[in-house]
Amino acid sequence: MSAITISHLTKRYGPVLAVDDLSFDVHPGKVTGFLGPNGSGKTTTLRILLGLADATSGSARIGGLTYRHLHDPVRQVGAALDSNTFHPGRAAAEHLKIIATATGLPHRRAAEVLDLVGLASVADRRVGGFSLGMRQRLSLAGALLGDPAVLVLDEPLNGLDPEGIRWIRGLLRSLAAEGRTVLVSSHLLSEVAQTVDDVVVLSKGHAIAETTLSELVERSSVIRARTTDATRLVDVLLAAGIQVRLVDGGTVEARGTDAAVIGLAAAGAGLPIFELSRHDQDLETLFFDLVHDTQEVAA
Amino acid sequence: MTGTARLARAEVRKLFTTRAVPVSIAIAAVLAVASVLIDAVVAGKSGAHALGSTAETYRMLKLGGLSAVVMLIIGILAAGGEFRHRTIVPALLATPDRTPLFVVKVAVVAVLGAVFSAVIFGLGLGTVAATLAAHGIHNLPAQTGRLYLGSVIAGACFGMIGVALGALTRNTVGAIVAAIAWAIFVEQIILQAVAPSLERWLPVGASLGLTNPPSASVLPPALAGLVLTCYAMVLLVAASVTTIRRDVG
Repeated sequence: MSAITISHLTKRYGPVLAVDDLSFDVHPGKVTGFLGPNGSGKTTTLRILLGLADATSGSARIGGLTYRHLHDPVRQVGAALDSNTFHPGRAAAEHLKIIATATGLPHRRAAEVLDLVGLASVADRRVGGFSLGMRQRLSLAGALLGDPAVLVLDEPLNGLDPEGIRWIRGLLRSLAAEGRTVLVSSHLLSEVAQTVDDVVVLSKGHAIAETTLSELVERSSVIRARTTDATRLVDVLLAAGIQVRLVDGGTVEARGTDAAVIGLAAAGAGLPIFELSRHDQDLETLFFDLVHDTQEVAA
Repeated sequence: MTGTARLARAEVRKLFTTRAVPVSIAIAAVLAVASVLIDAVVAGKSGAHALGSTAETYRMLKLGGLSAVVMLIIGILAAGGEFRHRTIVPALLATPDRTPLFVVKVAVVAVLGAVFSAVIFGLGLGTVAATLAAHGIHNLPAQTGRLYLGSVIAGACFGMIGVALGALTRNTVGAIVAAIAWAIFVEQIILQAVAPSLERWLPVGASLGLTNPPSASVLPPALAGLVLTCYAMVLLVAASVTTIRRDVG
């Protein structure tokens, strides 16, 4: 069973369709990136998953149950939705002890997770004096308080410096290596590219890609070919079922294939090839093309 | 420990791990003592009742209003503050069932209101007794015990009303301003002038039946307590419906 199952999830706020028939699964032992530009429905989806909002239709389940039906949810799911869920006048350790008190966790867990996220020295300092990066770490500490098997993190890299990004990247990968389920949302693919195994890409409330990161990068690379008659080469490749576009009179770009296939197709049509090269899109361009392109990448 | 007991302890922890509640209690304590001492100083002067008279002693014992106002603000901060500072998010992640979370918060604030009001009135009463004793007066009016109980009930009720207002508005500043504006302008200034018989049935007017000595302008204490409790219950039901149903975060 998938650890997290989103099934035909829809959320409407009046005339605005925030989430549109969204379905995807998240599996244990991996870090899954939940990606999409701002306003694509990521946070809304996570809020529904965590019982903070109701779906208009569809379901969002963890281990087969909705969040509100989980027994001892903090011990099963750790969530960090944003870094502004603290009373500024309350000390960091006290914030965690309140959660521990409400959930029956031992208070020593507060000190343990603060140490884990590097905030042990400021445990008794009021959160109002924390930087954004410190609040992000405290939010993560709260998510780890119950030592949960499932982690749901919304934009956890926001506000972190390069050292902090490297640290959290290592932490998330180690948690996944332990067999936990880690779902990380972000609006920047490049930010999470070194962290995630699988990706779910959202645009305008629905999934446009659900695959592994490596497959996504592989499928997005283009083979560029220069020939004497690019239009004829386009026809030949389209007939072979290859996704191709005409760049100019002498150049074509093909996706989802390799150079050998292009070369053989050109040779079979008697077309000389002056250039045959592979270009991997940079991740930002890849992401931009995905969310702004009408074509979807299937798993 | 049961889930309800854990929630209650967490709510108490929330109240006493920020400055608002301890500072409010300290300020109310100072004001209670100071008001009694000031009343004692001005007693018998410029037309005021003489120190030790029943009327003057009742005036010195008008402490219920102070604790009621403080508990109203604390109740608003306890509920509205969760939305203002978004601590409602970790609270709901820990306790996704919103009904017990809300009920326990109301109960804790009500108990705090009762205890706090008892302490403040007790402090003021002790100051009154000491002040009178210093002038050789050792009698307290017959209604003193009733005023004490009335202050405790008013404190608990206004704490609950504060929680309801904070949950309904999700805005601490707005709720506090609106509540004070209602109490002072609507009830005490406007309605007291144009419709005093109506005003005593409204929340502040009803509370005077609990915290003031009996008179024709206030409701009898038992009726006053019932009316104020009804206001608290109606507002809490309205707040629970919106709080339980509305999306958060």
